[in-house]
Amino acid sequence: MSEQQVAKTTDKSVFLERLIFNFRPLWVVLFVLLTVFLGWHASQVRPEASLTKMIPTNHPFIQNYFEHRDDLASLGNVVRIAVETTDDTIFTADFQKTLQEITDEVFFIPGVDRAGLKSLWTPNVRWSEVTEEGFVGGPVIPDSWDASQESLEQLRTNVLRSGEVGNLVANNFQSALIYVPLNEINPDTGEPLDYQAFSERLEEQVRDKYQSDDVKIHITGFAKIIGDLIDGAMQVGLFFLLAIIITLVMLFAYSRCWRSSFAVLSCSIIAVVWQLGIIKLIGSGINPYSMLVPFLVFAIGVSHGVQIINAMSTNRVEGHDRVMSSRLAFRALYIAGLTALISDAIGFTTLMVIDIAVIQELAIAASIGVAVVVLTNLGLLPILMSYTGISERGRKYSERVRDQDHPVLTLFERFSEPKWAYSALVVALIGLTWGLVQGQQLKIGDLDAGAPELRPDSRYNLDNKFIVDNYSSSTDIFVVMAETEPSQCIAYDNLEVMDRFSWHMENTPGVQDVKSVVYVAKMGAFGLNEGNLKWFSLNRNQYVLNANTGRTPPGLINPDCSMAPIIIYLNDHKAETLKTVVNAVETFNANYQQEGLELLMAAGNSGIEAATNAVIEDAQYKMLLWVYGVVIVLVFITFRSFRTVACIVLPLALTTVMSQGLMATLGIGVKVATLPVIALGVGIGVDYGIYIYTKMKEGLDRGMHLNECYKYALDNTGKAVGFTGLTLAIGVATWIFSPIKFQADMGILLTFMFIWNMLGALILIPALARLFARFGKAIP
Amino acid sequence: MIRTRVCASAVALAFSLTAAAQDAPVDDYDVIYAPAMIAPEATSAVLTEITSTADRQVAVGDYGVVVTREHGSEAWQQADVPTSVFLTSVDFASDSLGWAVGHHGVILKTTDGGLSWQRQLDGFQYIDLQVAYYQQRVNELEEELANDELDADAAAELEFLLDEALFRLDNATFAKEEGPTKPFLDVLALSADELLVSGAYGALLYSADGGASWQIFDERIENPDGFHLNAMQRSGETLFLAGEAGQLFRSNDRGTTWETLDSPYYGSFFGMYVDQQDRLWVYGLRGNIFVSEDQGDSFTQLKLEDPVNINAAVNAPANGLYFVGNAGVVAYLSESGELTEQTHKSGAALTDLVINDDGDLTLVGQRGVLSMPSSALTEKE
Repeated sequence: MSEQQVAKTTDKSVFLERLIFNFRPLWVVLFVLLTVFLGWHASQVRPEASLTKMIPTNHPFIQNYFEHRDDLASLGNVVRIAVETTDDTIFTADFQKTLQEITDEVFFIPGVDRAGLKSLWTPNVRWSEVTEEGFVGGPVIPDSWDASQESLEQLRTNVLRSGEVGNLVANNFQSALIYVPLNEINPDTGEPLDYQAFSERLEEQVRDKYQSDDVKIHITGFAKIIGDLIDGAMQVGLFFLLAIIITLVMLFAYSRCWRSSFAVLSCSIIAVVWQLGIIKLIGSGINPYSMLVPFLVFAIGVSHGVQIINAMSTNRVEGHDRVMSSRLAFRALYIAGLTALISDAIGFTTLMVIDIAVIQELAIAASIGVAVVVLTNLGLLPILMSYTGISERGRKYSERVRDQDHPVLTLFERFSEPKWAYSALVVALIGLTWGLVQGQQLKIGDLDAGAPELRPDSRYNLDNKFIVDNYSSSTDIFVVMAETEPSQCIAYDNLEVMDRFSWHMENTPGVQDVKSVVYVAKMGAFGLNEGNLKWFSLNRNQYVLNANTGRTPPGLINPDCSMAPIIIYLNDHKAETLKTVVNAVETFNANYQQEGLELLMAAGNSGIEAATNAVIEDAQYKMLLWVYGVVIVLVFITFRSFRTVACIVLPLALTTVMSQGLMATLGIGVKVATLPVIALGVGIGVDYGIYIYTKMKEGLDRGMHLNECYKYALDNTGKAVGFTGLTLAIGVATWIFSPIKFQADMGILLTFMFIWNMLGALILIPALARLFARFGKAIP
Repeated sequence: MIRTRVCASAVALAFSLTAAAQDAPVDDYDVIYAPAMIAPEATSAVLTEITSTADRQVAVGDYGVVVTREHGSEAWQQADVPTSVFLTSVDFASDSLGWAVGHHGVILKTTDGGLSWQRQLDGFQYIDLQVAYYQQRVNELEEELANDELDADAAAELEFLLDEALFRLDNATFAKEEGPTKPFLDVLALSADELLVSGAYGALLYSADGGASWQIFDERIENPDGFHLNAMQRSGETLFLAGEAGQLFRSNDRGTTWETLDSPYYGSFFGMYVDQQDRLWVYGLRGNIFVSEDQGDSFTQLKLEDPVNINAAVNAPANGLYFVGNAGVVAYLSESGELTEQTHKSGAALTDLVINDDGDLTLVGQRGVLSMPSSALTEKE
């Protein structure tokens, strides 16, 4: 900064400084009261996992889904409990007794749609066969059941005739399934289903109670995923404690002063409390994604706090008293701090371009958090420090390190020398190439089987794998809604087109099976014509069709017969598979237009994911454009030089490219969880560059050479930059151990970006400056 | 083409109806005229019949699928078919010349051994044919009735026939509105020119010119209840026809006249087969199999352990027979009359089979083309 600028900012700072320091007790009381108030609200915050918030609600697929949500409810919300025996077969008296007991147990769990509950032991599971007189049949459990060998034989025969092999009985006959549809709304109380409580009851009353050496329990279903997600999220709370402890150790190692370490820590924790409280107050909540924000706020708070105590101890060493030291520290830092925090906040707000509620909530929460950090760590912290001061030990330590060159810093200094600078640039170029080549493999969406939210080896996903392997059902479901005029959903013309569509989809790569009311109608014709397969077809006679669809299970047509879901079972939910399916549907719709019938995409977990992928793919570049646009403008406004912009932004771009390469290498797709990471990484990463370049420019203004400029910059901010990078990295690195897969992915990527951005700033900024110096003036 | 759109009320899906006629088709899509989609999964479609020519196996089924496989090859090819209706039967007069029939009144012909097919008849033409035929019947009968020299009995008889013809004319006229609803269920090629097609509700068609023109033969058999005519078979110059509710007929003049046989069973028959010893096999509901060694005059019963529908039979090694049926049932009947039963692991309904050159079985049914080694049945466990 020029002398003029310094003078100007000093004038301004006097007012703010007076405002804060002249009313210190008042401020402390105010902060305490606010903390109690917001703390109380923060304590009311509960982690939530709402499906609607994780999906792009404005995407046409989702709009279509929401329009028919009530009619589709009974399709998706099902829990499957597989009871596995270690014996050869489920046809033993012991196993059947256990299965019966579990069925009864589940029957009484609140939230279960009892009429829809299905297991070998519910009366709605029947066998049937055609006789000369028509259908005969009965419950699969013989009326004469007495657990004898004959009963078991009869049961086996009935099961084979019931067509339930692959559905309620595993293909290998070593496990049986309990199919548990849920009521989204409790019909008695009108209250929505508490997924977590339900999930817990399943664990207590089924898994814990019946799992033994002979019996294994496997549970899957949306309710279970949500339950496990919230459980996992709870564990993340522990990580926060861990992050606090590690940070405290680092703070002490940095300052050798307990007083200031605790002051920084408290202010940062207060920032988190405020952030959570405000979120609760504005009616928002915390979800498994925005849970990242407290970690970030804490880390940002600490890194700015460190600057304050750093400056303070310098002032103390120079002989100022506590209050004056605080005032001077505030005066020196508030502009730089504000600039950095504003750039963070702007970086976060670019996330708002992604039309997915959890990401927008994350952006809002992070922006609030950063605003709060301004108050706590630029406002409260200097006030607190003006009371506590720096301990004698801390002051001495800071005096000592001031005079000696840190070996690491000496190492970094070299990167402004030509040889080192060009070597670094070559390495960076290699890294860039690696990132670009690997990045070609980068995939959109979730890549792992099962519930992508959870780890592939989580119990849920193991259970899911068990059920997928042993039963003829895929858990990746894409639903197309066949919309018609009321009472036309089974009109012949419509069914015929739907049948064609089903066949078209069955022949699409990645599709396992297609089921809808059309299949029911054809099966009905097969059954009602004495089981003669030559009748497995639709009939133009509407009376015949009506009779054939008489046994349509609920959910396959809606009450006023204006919508029939066509359920497409997929091999997996990889983005290419989903894209192929979406394209196939679009091709069909373009070729077969039927008045009064619309085949609308999409519901089902895969349909929703297809929409999410589309939004993510679209937002991916839009977001990068915004983030970099904002950062470039910000840096340009600060430094008024395109070369400076290049020096600061190029290292960030390298990190972005390399993190995409890393994602591809680790098999992490671009998805709701990982997309915001890039904005966060760039938004925060630009701070380092700003700090370092500011100091380098100061050096230049004082007439230094490039090497000296950089040494000056390193001496003044190098340590702080390194510390900030490490604190941020540690804050998010604990996430790598999260049981929730996407949180772990976020942890890996953010850690990588925070550290790499720091290194990029420390190494590449001087190297690039050296390169530019060769072609022009010493430094822009 | 006139079609009626019928709306179904979902509240009482069963039979509450309101009809809203529309004069123009809402769209061009009709399963009769839409060419079969070339489908990678064609062999997984529901298939109903399979037959062998000197060159290849030919199977037909849902969505107009016809798949062929050269003998000794593993790979199936989908044939060019100008319709997407559900095909129910296929039969060849020679290695190159064959016919396939299906729902919506569709009859197809091939002249290249099953690789490509042409449509010879569709349900709308079939209905026109019926209307013209019964109209002519009515005219003829009315003319005869106008004859003053008739005695009372003859007049009463003619009145009865006229009522019957009028009733059928009404039905056919109504069908013109509704569209074709009665599937053909079997085709029997007697020669390059002569063929018979049987179907639901007593439909029987005859062609003497290789399918270029068709005659209504429904009234040639005594079937007042209009039972489905499920299967036909020939033994030398004798033809057999089997149907719903134990109906059995025989013709010794290439389908011109039919006599009703004494049926050994009141349940439905789904198929017939004449084995290498010229015995006639008839089979159907609930594992019921009957064999006649005297051209259908008398039958002996055989019952499968599993009470499932039996749909097809073919000659097996050592003068035995294979049967297939619903629920994946495959059975081997040895010359001495011993039955060995197996269930295909798919558990799916099986409707037909052929024997490969190596003796193994190629099965078709609900899950498309399936296979089973002959050892599974002929070797004792």
